[in-house]
Amino acid sequence: MKRCILTILLVALLVSSMAFAKTKLTFAVHWSDYQVEGIKDKEGNVVTKGLRQYVEEYMASNPDIEIEIQMVPFGEYLTRILVGRLAGAASDIYVLYSLWGVQLVESGVLDKVPKEVATAIKNDFVEAAVGGATINGEIRGIPTEVANYALVYNKKILKAGGYDEPPKTWDELIDMASKLTIKKEDGTVQQYGYVYDTSSNSGTVHPYLARLYSLGGQLFSNDNKKCLLDSKEAIQALDAEIEIFRRGGTDSAATHGDFQNGRAAMVILAPWWESSLKIAFGDQYEETIGVAPIPPMKDPKSVSYTWFVGVDALSKNKKEAWKFLEWFCIEPLPNGATRMGEFLANNIGAIPSRKADLDAFPDKLNDLYTSVYVQELANTVPEPNVAQGEEIKNIIWREIIEARHQRKTPEKALSDAKRQIDEILSEFY
Amino acid sequence: MSKVGRKRARAGYGFISPSLIFYSIFFIFPVVFSLIASFKRWNGLIPLFSAAWVGLENYKWLFGSDLFVSSVINTVVYSVVTVVVGIFISLILAVLINGSKLSGFWRLLFFLPTVTPAVAIGTIWGYLYRANNGLINQILGWFGIKPIRWLTDPKTALLSIMITAIWAGIGMQILIITASLQNIPQDYYDAAKIDGAGSFRIFWSITLPLLRPILLFLTATGMIGAWQVFDLPYIMGTNAPAKSIMTVSWYVYETAFQSLRMGRASAGAFILFCIIFVANILVLRAFKKGGIEGYE
Amino acid sequence: MNSKSKRFIKEFFRYLIIIFAAFWMVLPFFWMVSASLMTPQEITSIPPKWIPEKPQWHNYIDVLERVPIGKYYLNSLLVAGTATLGVILTSSLAGYAFAKLNFPGKKPVFQFILVTMMFPVFIFLIPNFFLMKTFGMLTNHLSLIVPFLVSGYGIFLLRQFIMSIPDELLDSARIDGASEFKIYRSIILPNIKPGLSALAITTFIGQWNNFLWPMIISSFSPNLMTVPVGIQRLSLAFASAETQHLVLAGLVYQVVPMLIVFVYFQKNFIKGFVVSGFGNV
Repeated sequence: MKRCILTILLVALLVSSMAFAKTKLTFAVHWSDYQVEGIKDKEGNVVTKGLRQYVEEYMASNPDIEIEIQMVPFGEYLTRILVGRLAGAASDIYVLYSLWGVQLVESGVLDKVPKEVATAIKNDFVEAAVGGATINGEIRGIPTEVANYALVYNKKILKAGGYDEPPKTWDELIDMASKLTIKKEDGTVQQYGYVYDTSSNSGTVHPYLARLYSLGGQLFSNDNKKCLLDSKEAIQALDAEIEIFRRGGTDSAATHGDFQNGRAAMVILAPWWESSLKIAFGDQYEETIGVAPIPPMKDPKSVSYTWFVGVDALSKNKKEAWKFLEWFCIEPLPNGATRMGEFLANNIGAIPSRKADLDAFPDKLNDLYTSVYVQELANTVPEPNVAQGEEIKNIIWREIIEARHQRKTPEKALSDAKRQIDEILSEFY
Repeated sequence: MSKVGRKRARAGYGFISPSLIFYSIFFIFPVVFSLIASFKRWNGLIPLFSAAWVGLENYKWLFGSDLFVSSVINTVVYSVVTVVVGIFISLILAVLINGSKLSGFWRLLFFLPTVTPAVAIGTIWGYLYRANNGLINQILGWFGIKPIRWLTDPKTALLSIMITAIWAGIGMQILIITASLQNIPQDYYDAAKIDGAGSFRIFWSITLPLLRPILLFLTATGMIGAWQVFDLPYIMGTNAPAKSIMTVSWYVYETAFQSLRMGRASAGAFILFCIIFVANILVLRAFKKGGIEGYE
Repeated sequence: MNSKSKRFIKEFFRYLIIIFAAFWMVLPFFWMVSASLMTPQEITSIPPKWIPEKPQWHNYIDVLERVPIGKYYLNSLLVAGTATLGVILTSSLAGYAFAKLNFPGKKPVFQFILVTMMFPVFIFLIPNFFLMKTFGMLTNHLSLIVPFLVSGYGIFLLRQFIMSIPDELLDSARIDGASEFKIYRSIILPNIKPGLSALAITTFIGQWNNFLWPMIISSFSPNLMTVPVGIQRLSLAFASAETQHLVLAGLVYQVVPMLIVFVYFQKNFIKGFVVSGFGNV
């Protein structure tokens, strides 16, 4: 009798524990600690919500779901996906840089977006972002942030050099760059007229693409079978950059760090640099920093890249994952914005890609810095989503560096790049 | 074999068995796995079994790639220079310190870099090498030397990294050479001095020959390590023209984790292994000429 | 020139060279510690600053707020300590076998072990990860420890040390009826204590500073994060300008324990190589 009761109790315990067994979702993110845990004040109260707070909110209203946040640095994100899948321990939800998307889609890593979500994306999101999340004609995830590029300049340095306005054309920029570079007698550069973001290949390749688009050029033929870096627009776009070097407006040792330390006049940056600049310039920020559209070579154009959240095709909890993502990214709050939009605008300082979100955060998106980026979205062409995108970007980046060092002419550099890229394209298209 | 011999052989097998078991799992499996991968076109995202077999194509491609070949050349230069110059400097310093006061203190100072992670070394030297406001150019400026763009100029990028690498390796080498120095009986030196030999002569004819075995050990193990160098160039060299700075391990890493070409990367790793193996044989042969038979 | 002044000149140049070289050894360290006490603006100023205006001691506290260094220390200690013990054990056993015991196949097996050291690390990354998953170790510390329990370098090194122990010592013990294991325990181990210390230091330091493998593992299981990986997180965030000083402070946290370990053990270390007669490699 006692044993019977014991068995019944054990079974009841087992059954009830299974009933309360939560569905676990893992969400791998590249966001930093402030972005995940929220921005806190000195007492530890949350001032700006981080991912953690949103996740806890969802878990509170969905007690059968448990979401684990896995923080992975941007530089290791692809490695993490790779290794995770290999070992059968992949995450359920990813936030992906669009360029990684093609490879992942072709290897069957990404789940198809549910139909209602895809419709919502097409209707509610900015064109550049929808393009970024579209791979081989299909939408593969919900766009989160869209990042385009603009010219950031130091108003004080410009003024001291006699310039009240930022350059309006690229030729003006070349001119201003060389006039604003100050070299000391011992050969060190005290001030650069122009610097570039050296932290990644994007810092070089994206501004190049913007110039290429401005001239009406394209990186690939429409069927992606050919690389068009031998076109005259492509060569012109690179020559325009090398001209700055030739005229002494910058050199190979220049980095974005110089701009952050007030020793450079101009740099082309993405929107997420805002917080770094605020910290670097402190209370001088407002009077020092100016943002303007990238001075066009012909038509005003900027280039963008996007991030999107997607679900792993091997996930055992795809339905629950999409449900969470819908709650986070599609479902509007009373003010018309989504929680993801709120998170992007308030915490990360990025530009949300949903149209209604763009209107919902005027103080964040309409400020001195970001407003120009948002404005330029209208002129923004998304970076092409082509197979082996990262490898191709590295090739272009390295050839541009060769041209900067005058080891190759722009024409040779680009034709070498084209040769390598064509070989890669022929593998896939 | 005698009964005693059998007993010892059994013990011998027993003592090496933990290591052999380890190697059978954590060495054989990875090597076979990677070898198979090197013959396939595999991006790491699909299971290895489903990947297409391409035979020697990965190897052929690598030998035809400018950047890979440049990486091999850079790595050869890097290995030879850092090992030879490093051991040379370590030898001189070890001998000098050995006869000095506060020798333990000096050895500690020189050992500092060995305990430092590569990331710290790369970051710190990155700051030192800054063209416009780095300490090195500032000091050179005192002597009227114009600023050098250490890490971005293709002429100096590899040199910069080699200097840092030598700096980082000296401490351990000094330690090992010192130990060997202290093992040389004082009588040899006393006898030589009585015969009227000067210090240089003593060094050349007594010290150096007796140090040859340890120099072989350092050269061989140094080469093996140098050939695989990844951390320092990767951390410090991203803004120099790739052909002037990239090393084979860095190339392999990028091919695998950014270009997602696991098959090709594995092939590159095996090519690297072959090079290391051959380099090792060359080192042994060079030392054989100097009278050291082998690792015995 | 008389011999006294000759010697003076010799000593003068000796110390001149030593101090010159030592200056360059210490300079980067000095800058690292100094910069860890600067504000972000000071770190990249022109002309470069050697010493901060006001030492920002709070940087060391700020780092603790942003990364749980205590937790990382625990992980690193556990992993490095266990791996070191494993290496010492397996290397001394195998080293004894290769140095003093004869068995068929000894030479080829030893050469095989030497060859294993020549394979690039990359070859082991993915397959080992796969193995860890198969053995179910991905979520616990074993995944950081097990792949490093045996080291060819350690086997080679201790073999050299053990080779210089006189055979007579072993033979007389054998005549007294001791088993090989008893000989290992009571004769071999005590006589290579300095060698064991040397191997312990290098293994421990190597494990402590190991980056690539722990990075891969901890991107899965964040609770297994070690010190080097944790500190890198700070500088890999998108906004590097605001954390330069914190990263440097974090690096000091990483380096200091190693210096302590080295200073503590260095007495054994030096003596180790000397006693073993490493000169007869």
